[in-house]
Amino acid sequence: MAEPEGAVRRGRVRLPAVSAQALGIYLAAVAIFVLLGVLNPDFLTLGNLRDVAVSACINAIIGLGVTFVIITGGIDLSVGSIASLVGIVSANLMVNHGVTPVLGLITGLVAGMVCGLVNGGLVTGLKLPPFIATLGTMSVFQGCAYVVTNGNPVYSVPASFVFMLNSYVGGVPTAVVLVLIIGVVAWLVLRRTVFGENVIAVGGSQETAWLSGIHVNRVKLGVYALSGALAGVAGLVLVARINAAQPEGGSPYLLTAIAAAVIGGANLMGGEGRIAGTLVGALILGALTNGLVLLNVPSFYEQIVTGAVVIVAVAVDQGAKGWPMLRGRRTEPPAGTDPAKPADETVRADAR
Amino acid sequence: MPAHLLDVRDVAKSFPGVRALDGVTFHLDRGEVCSIAGENGAGKSTLLAILGGALTPDRGVVALQGSVRHEYNPRTALADGVVIAHQEPAVVPQLTVAQNLLLGRSRAERASSADIVERALEDVRLMGFPLNRNDRLATLSPAQRHALTIARAFAFDPKVVALDEPTTSMLEHNVEHVLARIRELAHERGVGILYVSHKLPEVMNVSDSVVVLRDGKVAFRSPIGETDTDEIVRRMVGRDLLRFTRDHPAAADAPVVFSARGVTHPRGIGPISMDVRRGEVLGIAGLVGSGRTEFLRAVIRADRGCSGSVELDGRRVRVSGPGDSRRAGIAFIPEDRKGQGLVLGLPAFANVAMTASGEFSTGPFTSRRKQRAVARDAARTLALRPGNVELKARQFSGGNQQKLVIAKWMWRDSAVYLFDEPTKGVDVGGRYEIYKFIDELAGAGKAIVVVSSDLPELVTLCDRVLVMRAGRINSLHEGAGITEHALVASAMGQNGGFNG
Repeated sequence: MAEPEGAVRRGRVRLPAVSAQALGIYLAAVAIFVLLGVLNPDFLTLGNLRDVAVSACINAIIGLGVTFVIITGGIDLSVGSIASLVGIVSANLMVNHGVTPVLGLITGLVAGMVCGLVNGGLVTGLKLPPFIATLGTMSVFQGCAYVVTNGNPVYSVPASFVFMLNSYVGGVPTAVVLVLIIGVVAWLVLRRTVFGENVIAVGGSQETAWLSGIHVNRVKLGVYALSGALAGVAGLVLVARINAAQPEGGSPYLLTAIAAAVIGGANLMGGEGRIAGTLVGALILGALTNGLVLLNVPSFYEQIVTGAVVIVAVAVDQGAKGWPMLRGRRTEPPAGTDPAKPADETVRADAR
Repeated sequence: MPAHLLDVRDVAKSFPGVRALDGVTFHLDRGEVCSIAGENGAGKSTLLAILGGALTPDRGVVALQGSVRHEYNPRTALADGVVIAHQEPAVVPQLTVAQNLLLGRSRAERASSADIVERALEDVRLMGFPLNRNDRLATLSPAQRHALTIARAFAFDPKVVALDEPTTSMLEHNVEHVLARIRELAHERGVGILYVSHKLPEVMNVSDSVVVLRDGKVAFRSPIGETDTDEIVRRMVGRDLLRFTRDHPAAADAPVVFSARGVTHPRGIGPISMDVRRGEVLGIAGLVGSGRTEFLRAVIRADRGCSGSVELDGRRVRVSGPGDSRRAGIAFIPEDRKGQGLVLGLPAFANVAMTASGEFSTGPFTSRRKQRAVARDAARTLALRPGNVELKARQFSGGNQQKLVIAKWMWRDSAVYLFDEPTKGVDVGGRYEIYKFIDELAGAGKAIVVVSSDLPELVTLCDRVLVMRAGRINSLHEGAGITEHALVASAMGQNGGFNG
């Protein structure tokens, strides 16, 4: 007999999906907020927290897309360039070609998705390693962004476009509302759809997924398209925020968005990643940037702190898993028991 | 009494769910060539790993010239003069012959390297492979690499050398030279040699004595002059049979439900054709490397470059990948449970549901409730232990992991089940349950193919058995013709006269 979720069975409570390991990131976020608040009371004012949330939005949106890619065991280095390209294309259409803001938005979304499909095609069709494929397209898409307007920025985008992505509803920034909506949808897609389950399966063991009948290539195509589309959305949000499109506007967000996903528990080896974790990761990065400014720390130090946080977060995450890469002791029959199989299949890094 | 060169006393080693070695005792003297024979999984690899220091025994001792080894790691084993030459040559393709010979050696050892390299090159030449010290390994054939690996094992004045299947890549006339040189090396330099091979003629040719391992125990030990290949085969396979009888043997006139027609795999396998009747268990025997796994993978088109066709109930089905074969109702239960059957970090129920394509969905969303219900159902049918489907796949023992992989396909009610080594690494109790389940599948009218290196398993389980050799079907055995002896003989090269 099936019980509802969360029911007590054999004396054990089925806990919600927050593992002890995931809990660490939330505790760290709270600690950082409290620490910054103690150091400068202005940090915890409502107005400032709203600024923190807004500054986290772009990393959050790009980071959510990248999280899907990372879960499959891939990486998308082109997201910053896609954000730039989409921003400049949409702004150019709206400002110089009289396209309506809604159509500009849709065009941007589609353009981002097309860029993502190009990445997915390179990874699945040409079998390129994701790092190489997206390293290449990072440069290609950036170049395209320059080509669109000969390297010139596009200023004074329509007010109605800015209103959609950079205003307030009931005191809450629209960009934050957008992030929350995307976050909920992303969580549902990842945890409650066949596609999401397949994403996790492909990342956990591609061969197992393939032999289970999962169309691995379609799954990969899907995650890169999703990553591209969300990078495009982030590019549009960026345009609305600064009321202009810069041909290089998105590039600073590449590494910070990946950092947000990694801080949030995404494992670059694949199979693991959390939607809420990525959002909190983006929030931590936003809080650090904002807090360091309030504390009058020179901005150069921000990068040092950000890098240190990524390293500490991943180190703690690995520590929670018992440092698998350090535990070389084999607990399985020695490789070569079956000479037909390569040794690396017998002893896998994730075997316990 | 002078101590033996190598003394192995009561050595035991267990892995989760498997007792790989169970009180192995034997000894080796200077200049002696001793063959270690046994089926896959008999414990040969584990024994070599312990001698080479890669594994520490749970019990028992290894002594060299009377001094007991206290610490097990590869460096001390090398320092003791124990060298293991693995089946896969451990060489760096980008480096030269001389560089590979000296790989991993200290500066002190390299001081005399000129001499050592020359001597090793001479050994290789005497084996029939003239090599130049500056040849890059990448340009050499597998046979040349194997020869170099053998010479390298003897390069630094070892006391004991273990050679694991050193001749697999070599042609007949090379093998004679290699074996001759191995015997000379043993006698000239007083080295004790452990020779591991599936090829019994080689064993008879090269050895002074033979030790047969079976289920982790020494089943037989004899000077080579006092035994013959027949006896060695008998000792290799003659384990205590698991007492299991099929409740649902196939009817001889049952209709064919699954056919493979001209199936090939790019690794030089096939073309292979076969029919499986309703309720029939068809076994496939053969040595490791004979192409059994590749055949199964070719049926579901798991690899690129496969060809041939598949018929279900006489109708040809289009299969271009595992997704198609899943839809057609063909289940493939791979040998490597951890790497190919399961995602270890996911809960059992998520693994079971992995073969779904929307069956658990309500609208756009999947229902974990339905997934859990199906998984629990399967867990009950298969007597999964523990029966908690929330546990991660890695938390189950080998036998129960196997049940999980079966559960992935069971709920789909697949028509054809392709099992690759269904009981590898599974203990006796688990085996019994898996046999019982396969029998029940047969009783339910499924068509079943079982690839296995476990001959008693094939004898117990199968209505018919095909033996594969070098990518082709070598013989077909039915009824009373399914004996371990007949299967081994055919797998090792006696012509069974089957033209499939």
